[in-house]
Amino acid sequence: MVALSLVVSREASASKSARPQIAFSNVALNLGGKAIVEDLSLTVRPGEFLCIIGASGCGKTTALRLAAGLYQPTSGSVEFDGQPMRTPRRDIAIVFQDYGKALLPWRTAAGNVSLALEANNVPVSERAPRIDALLKKVGLPNHAGKYPAEMSGGMQQRLQIARCLAQDPKALLMDEPFGALDAMTRQGLQDEVLSLVAAANMTVIFVTHDLEEAIYLGDRVIGLLPNPGRIGIELTIDLPRPRDQLTTRENPEFLRLRRELFDFIKASEA
Amino acid sequence: MTSRGAIYWRIASFAVAAGFVGLWQLIADLRLVSPVFLPGPDRAWASLVRGFTSGDLGSKLLGTLEHMAYGWFLASIAGIALGALIGSSRSMRSYIAPSLEFLRPLPVSAIIPVAIALFGLTQGMALFVIAFGAIWPMLLATIHGFAAVEPRLYEVARSLHMSRLAVIFKIALPSAAPDILAGMRLSLTVALILSVVCEILAGLDGLGHSVLLSARAFRSADLFAGVILLGMIGYLTSLMMSFAEARILRYRRRS
Repeated sequence: MVALSLVVSREASASKSARPQIAFSNVALNLGGKAIVEDLSLTVRPGEFLCIIGASGCGKTTALRLAAGLYQPTSGSVEFDGQPMRTPRRDIAIVFQDYGKALLPWRTAAGNVSLALEANNVPVSERAPRIDALLKKVGLPNHAGKYPAEMSGGMQQRLQIARCLAQDPKALLMDEPFGALDAMTRQGLQDEVLSLVAAANMTVIFVTHDLEEAIYLGDRVIGLLPNPGRIGIELTIDLPRPRDQLTTRENPEFLRLRRELFDFIKASEA
Repeated sequence: MTSRGAIYWRIASFAVAAGFVGLWQLIADLRLVSPVFLPGPDRAWASLVRGFTSGDLGSKLLGTLEHMAYGWFLASIAGIALGALIGSSRSMRSYIAPSLEFLRPLPVSAIIPVAIALFGLTQGMALFVIAFGAIWPMLLATIHGFAAVEPRLYEVARSLHMSRLAVIFKIALPSAAPDILAGMRLSLTVALILSVVCEILAGLDGLGHSVLLSARAFRSADLFAGVILLGMIGYLTSLMMSFAEARILRYRRRS
């Protein structure tokens, strides 16, 4: 029997750890005179899996890009390990939704992984074994010599994840990474990401528009309200780990959370 | 298309070429044009062979190839470097684009007197003219290629903290390679044309000059031999460029 100890509170997780890995304090961002996000305060513990959901145009991706250092806040601050984010960092890896655009089409799978190792100044002699290990880790051990155009969407996204892991990141920021994939591929990748992240004890921010995906993956789910983007709901997910595509999704708590998020999205769009 | 189909097309294209040569031979044999002006392919071929075995056609060919290669090479280096510089920065593009738009449509033939005034009737003049003419396709293609790099890749580069040099050589240049190679192929033709023009105008050692002298002396067979050789240079260099392209852009074929 699953303990139904659910915590629904805005600041619940902030006090759990001495120092958060990622901390937004009163972050606002205006682009072209338009407020994209406003008064965004949130913290992510080291090793936590945070999912961000919301209707389209609510600033999910913007929040992720702020965490990545690809945007600078108009006011407020974003900190990583207690240091303000001024530029992107090598120990924060970003998995983009459009894997086709984020990979180098003229490099093979091995070459694409190598890009991150080259940037991290890994000596040439160490690259080949690490590339092999990383491709194996994401389930592409026999595709090292293939070009991205020769691979399916799911394989390309695995490849992008392998390149991100090659950065040896403390945090993984994922922007609707499985949005363009079919349901079966998507479920397989969800489980693989969970085990990869657990093995490396990485902090994850995962943006998705798929409510079930958010609950299935996350330790916590934050829902954003649109115009301008701000936090509307925060749910702690206490479903047991390791999660399972069948039993977790049949768990009454899962269904209750799904209902709650569904109602939230419906209300936010109204 | 099947490989068998490709072979048939290849055979058909050779047949068409052979047909043209046959027609030429027929016109020459029937003396529809005076042999003083139009030799048959047999005479042109004989002159070509004679030129290589006992004449100086080999050194003329080398002269033209040299002019073409140096000019093209100089244009490539300058065109790609300048294009990279301009293409990778939006402000550079807006500053420099108007000047380029003024220089680009300028007929190269209008530059030749200027070049002669500056350099005299020298190899340096030829190099300048050929490079000036051949730089445009490469410059514009490189600017376009650099400006069209997928922005997502620059974000990947930022998140990896890649150096500016690494971004140019690992992302921008390979991404712009298809454009640059297309520009280089166009420039090759321009370089050949201008090599011949410069040789004719400045009397530089090469096929252009030799063709001119043959025409003036009514040695029509030699004239045609030179023209055939020039056509072959154009064809073969373009073929080499195709091979280079296929090799460098092989990731595209496999998709």
